[in-house]
Amino acid sequence: MTPPPAAIDVQSLTKLYRRWGKKRSIGTFKSALLSGRPGRALAPDEAIPALTDVSFTVAPGETVGIVGPNGSGKSTLLKVLAGILRPTAGSVSVRGRLAALLELGAGFHPEISGRENIEINGLLLGLSRKEIARRFDEIVRFAELEEFLDAPVKTYSSGMAVRLGFSIAAHSDPDVLLVDEVLAVGDEAFSRRSLEKFAEFERAGKTLLFVSHDLGLIAERCHRAIWLDGGRVAADAPAGEAVTLYRESVAAREAARRAQPRSAPAAGRPRRVGSGAATLAAVRLLDSAGRETVRLRSGEAARLVMEVEAPEPLDDFVFGFAISTVAGATVFGSNTAIDGFVPSGLEAPSTVALDIPSLELAPGVYSVDAAIHARDGSPYDYRRDVLRFEVAAEHPTAGVWSPDRRWSFSEGIRWKT
Amino acid sequence: MSRVWSTLQRAWRQRALVLALARRELLARYRGGVLGFFWSLLNPLLLLLVYATVFRLVFTPRADVRPYALFLFAGVLCWGFVSSALLDAAETFRTNGPLLRKTTVAPEVFPAVATGARFAHLVLALPVLAGAIAIGALDGSVRPDAAVLQFPVVLVLLAAMVLGLALVVSSLSVHFGDVRDLLANVLTLTFFLTPILYPIESAPRRLRLLFWLNPFAPFFVAVHESAFFFRPVPAIAWAGMIVWTFLALAAGAAVFERLRDSIAEEA
Repeated sequence: MTPPPAAIDVQSLTKLYRRWGKKRSIGTFKSALLSGRPGRALAPDEAIPALTDVSFTVAPGETVGIVGPNGSGKSTLLKVLAGILRPTAGSVSVRGRLAALLELGAGFHPEISGRENIEINGLLLGLSRKEIARRFDEIVRFAELEEFLDAPVKTYSSGMAVRLGFSIAAHSDPDVLLVDEVLAVGDEAFSRRSLEKFAEFERAGKTLLFVSHDLGLIAERCHRAIWLDGGRVAADAPAGEAVTLYRESVAAREAARRAQPRSAPAAGRPRRVGSGAATLAAVRLLDSAGRETVRLRSGEAARLVMEVEAPEPLDDFVFGFAISTVAGATVFGSNTAIDGFVPSGLEAPSTVALDIPSLELAPGVYSVDAAIHARDGSPYDYRRDVLRFEVAAEHPTAGVWSPDRRWSFSEGIRWKT
Repeated sequence: MSRVWSTLQRAWRQRALVLALARRELLARYRGGVLGFFWSLLNPLLLLLVYATVFRLVFTPRADVRPYALFLFAGVLCWGFVSSALLDAAETFRTNGPLLRKTTVAPEVFPAVATGARFAHLVLALPVLAGAIAIGALDGSVRPDAAVLQFPVVLVLLAAMVLGLALVVSSLSVHFGDVRDLLANVLTLTFFLTPILYPIESAPRRLRLLFWLNPFAPFFVAVHESAFFFRPVPAIAWAGMIVWTFLALAAGAAVFERLRDSIAEEA
């Protein structure tokens, strides 16, 4: 059986950026004409390699992540694949309709309405007018912009513009979708919905290639990852493996830079471990009104909920939650054993909730780990970074703790009221 | 030759996008103005009124080009299109840098949009020209006839020639910062050397050949013949227009293809 033809085929791709250096700053047409050799002024002074001898193929239906430090050629690679830049050497071929999401809403014009922008953006993505008309309502619904459709885009918040840009691209029905770090923008709820949209693409057998600095996301979502370093392929492996290799290299580089050995970062640990004797079916954060949320105000009541499933009843179990900053510092961690509960029996499905009457966290983004394990610590299901939420406050404070507080002053200290 | 053809083909495939972007340009320009598209009529209307006043009361034009306001008007409208389209083209890649760098849009779309949007302006001003001709016809100072049907053909050829030149100036402007300034100067000089303010017959006989060598000369001779004198456009003007249009498109495609790769990198 012959394998199906590749959706993306890159062979010995090299891309040089040309620099016009000094000539460019003088670079006037007048001087070029006066020099008598206008063609010469157009010849570049030097060439800087952005990609060197890059080869890989992507099969139809595959989701591939691209990782690497800044300046490693990730964006250049996407631009060459998208046809925005031409390869200096080597070949690139993409089968089927391609859509590139290099910047959400890149084509928006601020003065005209959302409606007109949808049409132009759709055309930019290669849709015909008919196709745009057919998908119009769905695009608007997904972006949740029904009421603002006829307002000029300059009146949109950045979140609204991002939602609209993503919605148009997501509905352009490409066979191959290139995405450059666009999930970093928008609120949590939106990035979750965009992830769902990507999952839908995947189920529909579309090919996805995306660049992200969110290594957890790459490891979770991609079948395979390509690690680019200095414009060369440093690794092309199953996503978890490539990400681990990349992380190790970053850690090693960091350690070398600081000239002192450091323990491997916690991020190197797998996101989910456990025997499966009990599993976490869902982990949710609820606000004081009991609604599921990913955004809370500092000092508000919060409730963390885990839904537990177990194939067989258990008599040895501990439930735990931990909250940490996205940088990895643990802010809080406790479990039912620490808090004095002695297990007697568990029949799934069941629900565990931890109420925090006042979430005294400073504004920022936090990550939640949830776990079920035996009393001796051996995990049934341990999930790192299972949930992220944002804490907002009127005034930012330093640190991670923002307690309820009161100032008092002796006489002699006066304040303007 | 095949290069010219493939560039044009690519531009043609993008026509829906070119139209939509040109429309956007126009909408963005008039959006929010109380008078909306009426502004596009008001400006040429005022121009016409000023011409009519000045050349009736202040300055007496030659006898063979009366009413001079009308003679001037058709030519100035068309020249307005030429110069504004080329000046827009000279900065279109800078204005649309984000689109070029972040979307898969073909760069030839932008000079086409600059030309198309300015051409639409010209077309929107034509009702004023038609009205002026109608008034002239009522008082007997001009006698419009079927020769006016040549005018749209002349306009289309002029637009094609401007598109070719727009491709040249837009791609050069990516590499040279002074293209727009230089162009503005060249356009001002060309305006006076082209038979727009005067019929080409008023050039001295021994210099007339030089005047005919100006690429724009046949176009403006044809504009005057078809929309003022209402006479058949001479064959030499047709030949000139076709040759210059072809040369401009060929030069546009050649320069554009030569610099195409660097546009997304440098814009």
